[in-house]
Amino acid sequence: MTEVRATETMVAAGANELRDGEVVVVGVGLPQVACVLAKRTHAPSLTTLLEIGVVDCGPVDTPVGLADSRIFYGATCWSGFLDILGMNLHRGIVDVGFLGALEVDRHGNINTTLLKDGSGRVQYFNGSAGGNDVASLATRIMIIMRHGKRKLPAMLAHLTSPGFGDGRARGELGLRGDGPHRIITDKAILGFDPESHCASLVSVHPGVSIQDVVEHTGFPLHISDQTATTPLPTEEQLRLLREDIDPQRVYLT
Amino acid sequence: MDKVKPVADVVRSIPDGSHLALGGFAIARNVNTVVHELIRQQKKDLSLSQCVMGMDTDLLVGAGLVSRLIVGGGSLDRFGRVNCVNRARELGTVESLDTSSLAVCFGYLAGALGVSFMPIKSLIASETLDRLESGPGAEAYRRMTCPFTDEEYVLVRAIVPDVSFVHVQVADRNGNCQINGPRWENEEQAKAARRVIVITEELVSTDTIRHCPERTVIPAHRVEAVVHQPFGAHPTSVFGCYDYDSEHLRLYVDHSSSPERIQDYLEQYILSSRDYQEYLEKIGGTERLMKLKARKDRGY
Repeated sequence: MTEVRATETMVAAGANELRDGEVVVVGVGLPQVACVLAKRTHAPSLTTLLEIGVVDCGPVDTPVGLADSRIFYGATCWSGFLDILGMNLHRGIVDVGFLGALEVDRHGNINTTLLKDGSGRVQYFNGSAGGNDVASLATRIMIIMRHGKRKLPAMLAHLTSPGFGDGRARGELGLRGDGPHRIITDKAILGFDPESHCASLVSVHPGVSIQDVVEHTGFPLHISDQTATTPLPTEEQLRLLREDIDPQRVYLT
Repeated sequence: MDKVKPVADVVRSIPDGSHLALGGFAIARNVNTVVHELIRQQKKDLSLSQCVMGMDTDLLVGAGLVSRLIVGGGSLDRFGRVNCVNRARELGTVESLDTSSLAVCFGYLAGALGVSFMPIKSLIASETLDRLESGPGAEAYRRMTCPFTDEEYVLVRAIVPDVSFVHVQVADRNGNCQINGPRWENEEQAKAARRVIVITEELVSTDTIRHCPERTVIPAHRVEAVVHQPFGAHPTSVFGCYDYDSEHLRLYVDHSSSPERIQDYLEQYILSSRDYQEYLEKIGGTERLMKLKARKDRGY
């Protein structure tokens, strides 16, 4: 096996967080790859839902996004937003919401709307789409993103989708679901303290130091005495990712 | 009743200032046939609504014809962002009510059910809601405590578009239309609108529709007109008919990333074309389009 890429560790870590039998609403990109990987390994009864109206898809070609017909292929049901985001997510039966992000703060609040440069000039991105709905309503939220001071800032440029708000419990904020559970980056896995709802370090990826993670995080990060090392993807996971799931490295760059 | 009409006639019946709901999602089933004609006829001061914007909304904003948006989000998937929309937001030339996919869908659902609002548990504790409440969304988003459970809700006001456009695979001349693949907000959006216009890849007999009525998403009595335009969503995809045109989408994103170059695109591909057929000739005609045709067993 050649050297393991950071994206492969991220995707395997994401897959490992999913349990067999769970229902997951998935965003574009690495979350989708992680779900396919989980389904092909330890979680064959995982149900993936796409907001566009696709249940349990089985793509045989790599899609470029949610609106790509490649991701409609092999589904067990085609419906729409009202079914997926309404009668599944809003209904309260979605276990995991798996999202990407432009920025995430220490309370797991997500920005997917805009960034501001030093002079305050605003640049817009894709916005919420189903992101706010998923973050508001799924039982646990997993975020998968690159690690960096500007990706994990002290203050978001915009709060598109809520985590723990200013650090309060979800019920107090008026939100359903248990809120952010994991932030999986190319350096580490972060979790959240059950009392303070602040981000803490769960594990660092092989070859990454705790200091490196702290230096590249824009907010103060709680470090416990027993920070683990993220397991490398197994040979089986790597083989599936490289030969089957994303052979052209559309996502696993 | 035969409702098949040329797109130019349909668009002529739309007044400036109308609220139009577009049936596309990112790079899938965009109502580009209508969008091109709206640009050719320079319909102005439009309000547009849609759960997830694609090239359809981006083109109309790029052409300077849009004053207001009610949207959940938008992208061209991995090809790029909705550059014209984002530029207009940055410059403040468009009033944009940015919500979430479900909030827009619930707005349409309320419209379709004939109720004035729908309670939702999204948007709470977000800047998305703060911005709506302190800006142009103040009249459409309110909070309420449930009188039965004391739970806090956001109320999404019903969205009732003047005209809804939806691009489908199959329709008959009466307007019965069938959608293959996922349907995002197509049904709620169309049924919320005062007028529904269908653009279809293929015209079939009503007997064909009757053969599989479970596939009919919007039945004829809700439809005002049918436009027949094969490859009418190009360069976006139509499941079961053709794939997206990667090359043209890249060319579009390249143009849309600059305010000058988008004008070149509009001139070269839309304004200087007599009709959609001429546009299809310009992008390579039958030879190019045949390469995009879907494999029957895959749908793309």
